[in-house]
Amino acid sequence: MTSGADEASDDPAREIVLVTRPAGPRAPNPVEALREVVSNSVGMAAYTASTLASLIEQTVSYAVETSVNAALDRVVPAIADAIIERLDLTDLVLEQVDLNRIITSALDGLDLTQLVIDRVDVNAIVAEADIDAVIDRVPIIPLADYVIEEIDLPQIIRDSTSGIAGDAMNTVRRQGVGADQVVSRIVDRIVLRRRQRKLDAPGSPESLAARSTDDSDRGSEGGTT
Amino acid sequence: MTTFREYREAVAQGRRPQYELPTLPSDAVDFQGDRAGFVSRAVAAGIDVVLVFLTVLGTIAVLWMLSFIVDPGTDGGSFGDSRVPPVVLMIGYGYALNVLYWTVGWATSGRTIGNLVMGLRVVNYKGRHPRWIGAFLRAVFCTVFPFGLLWVIVSGANRSVQDVVIRTSVIYDWVAGIPGLGSKAEPTTGSEPTSE
Repeated sequence: MTSGADEASDDPAREIVLVTRPAGPRAPNPVEALREVVSNSVGMAAYTASTLASLIEQTVSYAVETSVNAALDRVVPAIADAIIERLDLTDLVLEQVDLNRIITSALDGLDLTQLVIDRVDVNAIVAEADIDAVIDRVPIIPLADYVIEEIDLPQIIRDSTSGIAGDAMNTVRRQGVGADQVVSRIVDRIVLRRRQRKLDAPGSPESLAARSTDDSDRGSEGGTT
Repeated sequence: MTTFREYREAVAQGRRPQYELPTLPSDAVDFQGDRAGFVSRAVAAGIDVVLVFLTVLGTIAVLWMLSFIVDPGTDGGSFGDSRVPPVVLMIGYGYALNVLYWTVGWATSGRTIGNLVMGLRVVNYKGRHPRWIGAFLRAVFCTVFPFGLLWVIVSGANRSVQDVVIRTSVIYDWVAGIPGLGSKAEPTTGSEPTSE
């Protein structure tokens, strides 16, 4: 058994036409139509009322705010002036405000040194300063003495001049010390002494004591300066 | 480094600025006060012995010349034909002179001429120059037994036999000129010499 479609496929000259038929119109329901009309009318009316109320509210609010602001712009300055005229604000601040705390807080938040460096022209201040007055207050002679002593100028002079003059006695002494060290080193190596010789002696040498004693003591030492 | 403020305070307290040229070379500061080695001490002792020997020779020369004044004859006077004292007597004289010379030098300043040339000073266990008794004993010991100096070579503290026995030390102490009699330098290190 073969279906119609199979037959159509078997015969290309035949066509199949599908025809749809709409359902038949239903009869209108008057109650539902009326209810729909009423419902739409009520919704439209509610929306219109809401919109109108919002518009009125905005209009009134704007009008009131504008009026109040205008009134305050006129009244408040006058009242404030009247109050300020009747108050001593300076005393009020001094009595009621902890100025030290405010200043301390402000200073803590500032780098005054950097502020001065950034904002102050130090060179201009120095250029305008009276340097002579400053120098007059500087103890020049003690300062020179201090520099001479700190750089050990006498020793520098002596070292520079002794090379020219040639200190024969110190040369002999220096050679003696060098020979002492050579002999000690050789003997210590021979006797396998590992630690250094203990050369500390009691007392202080006069040659060094002369450096620390005052002039009178040095004079009594008879040329040990 | 001393600040200028500290310097001014020191000056205000009476300290005087030092302008005098130091005689101590800067490279010699480090070993001042250390015990001296064998060579320096031997050279110093040699200088002293030579000076004493020259003094003995001078004494002989003076006696020889005096012998002509005292006894201008040809027999040589009281010392015989040579007109000079016997050698043994002069050796004894030399030893005595050496003891006297070292005693005086060490007891007064801690230095003899040889020490002065080589920049040495003899100190006792307190760090000062020896007293007369100590200087005399040391001089006798050094004169009679000069080989005690050889112990400096092997000593671990550069001390001779005399130093060990009499508790003395010979230190580097370079000074110029002839130091005054008696040292005012107070000992500051205060360490006692160690026995070997």
